[in-house]
Amino acid sequence: MHSILRIFKFAFQGFFRNFWLSLVTITMMLMAVLSVTLLMGMDYIREVTIKGVENKVDVLVEMKLEADREQVESLVNDLDELSEVKVVDIITPEENWQMFLENNKDSEATQVLEVFEEDENPFPYFLAIQAYELDQYPKILEFINQEKYSAFVQSSDADTHEQVINKINDLANFVNKYSWYITGLFVLISIVVIFNTIRMSIYTRQSEITIMKLVGASNWVVRTPFVIESVLYSLAAVLIVMVIIYPLLNFIQPSLNTYFDGIQAVNIAKYFKDNYLQIFGTQFLGLALINMISTSLAVRKYLKV
Amino acid sequence: MIQISNVSKIYPKKIQALKDISLHIKPGEFVSIVGQSGSGKSTLVKLMIAEERPDSGKIVIGGWDITGIKGQEIPTLRRQLGVIFQDFKLLPKKTVFENVAFAMQVCGFKPKEINKTVDQILALVGLKGKEDRYPHQLSGGEQQRVAIARSLVHKPKLLVGDEPTGNLDSINTREIIDLLKKINNMGTTVVLVTHNREVVNSLKNRVITLDSGYIISDQANGRYLL
Ligand SMILES: Nc1ncnc2c1ncn2[C@@H]1O[C@H](COP(=O)(O)OP(=O)(O)O)[C@@H](O)[C@H]1O
Ligand SMILES: [Mg+2]
Repeated sequence: MHSILRIFKFAFQGFFRNFWLSLVTITMMLMAVLSVTLLMGMDYIREVTIKGVENKVDVLVEMKLEADREQVESLVNDLDELSEVKVVDIITPEENWQMFLENNKDSEATQVLEVFEEDENPFPYFLAIQAYELDQYPKILEFINQEKYSAFVQSSDADTHEQVINKINDLANFVNKYSWYITGLFVLISIVVIFNTIRMSIYTRQSEITIMKLVGASNWVVRTPFVIESVLYSLAAVLIVMVIIYPLLNFIQPSLNTYFDGIQAVNIAKYFKDNYLQIFGTQFLGLALINMISTSLAVRKYLKV
Repeated sequence: MIQISNVSKIYPKKIQALKDISLHIKPGEFVSIVGQSGSGKSTLVKLMIAEERPDSGKIVIGGWDITGIKGQEIPTLRRQLGVIFQDFKLLPKKTVFENVAFAMQVCGFKPKEINKTVDQILALVGLKGKEDRYPHQLSGGEQQRVAIARSLVHKPKLLVGDEPTGNLDSINTREIIDLLKKINNMGTTVVLVTHNREVVNSLKNRVITLDSGYIISDQANGRYLL
């Protein structure tokens, strides 16, 4: 029992008594954790933005002028049955009329409507359909263009819709894919940097290892405190980043609000608060693992005395 | 205590450091090993503590044939010997007390026993009151005393010194040699590698002289030849 305690004591002594060396090592790790964290933040913004764009996309289907409320509602019911459909909104001729008036408030165009009687409305029904995913729109359009609806659906131009939607979809996929490459690259660079930092720090302490071996310490007794020490580095680095990042996020959140101006709820501060365990827990585990492996490898070189 | 038979050691690039060395050291002896720089003295010490392996021959320490010793047996061997060096080899980030205690901690002794033994041994080597200092806060002579104290915690039957006074002035050298004699009188075999003519001549003990990897003389009650 006390030999385990001793090992931990050695680890803490090594950590604090090599203060400057520890500080340098932690700083390097801190840089790595900070860049990966910022990258995660960017990733979150990218994801919400793309989700936002996707949510903005819907398909407007024009009904024939002669289509009545009942027919429109039956189509809506059929659409609701489809698993791809998220929402269907009916835009009535009256709403269209109002919208037209509003959109052309200051122009002559509104005079066009004056030729119609009170009970006449030149606007048809529209359906605004939103799918769950971008690639579900073609299926929905295909469904609407069925023969049985042709009596009251003004054949919708599926191709144009599809092209636009595909473009957005491609862009989203492209951005998602490359953001993964960039994250991967960052993580890779971080691993290389950390590995070498550990090697340097063990190199400067190689005589310590040799001496321990000369007075009869087993490899385990020499190695384990170094390994635990490296976990302490990970903990320190991640904690410091946490201390830095939250005020930073609170600081930039207002400018994000201004930038996205209600179009899209980008609440990165909240995101980091809600997911702190995933974000920093994962990074701590990953970093600790890299550190433990690097340390074991680096120490092993000097154990052969 | 030490039985070395026909031992040769060849370093990489065909540097032959020891050539067909044979010697026998009995328990309780105080033996000096002298020789010019590069004659193979340190190599001989390294073979005794299994820091290097011989290329041929046989080495037996305290009845244990360590010629082909396995890596995981080395700590056990080292805990039965005391070794001191010219550069002291203290852990720089540990205090005097911790440096000495470390040698016992690695064997899993209980804290109570460690405290008691370390206190006793630090008193024996004359370091009482300096337990909490770090090595860089001590003189060379004091640092070597810490190293000796550390080598004594296992109550070794054999103490090997590789030029332990090489970095010390004559007063400190005198004191360290006196300490080694005291330890020898308490029953520990001492093997002392040294360059120091006065030390060797004043000891009036057995002297083994090495030259280019050969033993060129081995005299009881010998003198510094070179
Ligand atoms: N690790 C090594 N690799 C190669 N040659 C070595 C090594 N250690 C010592 N030597 C060589 O072996 C010879 C004996 O060295 P050493 O035992 O250190 O002598 P001494 O301690 O008497 O000065 C020298 O020629 C030295 O250069
Ligand atoms: Mg030497």
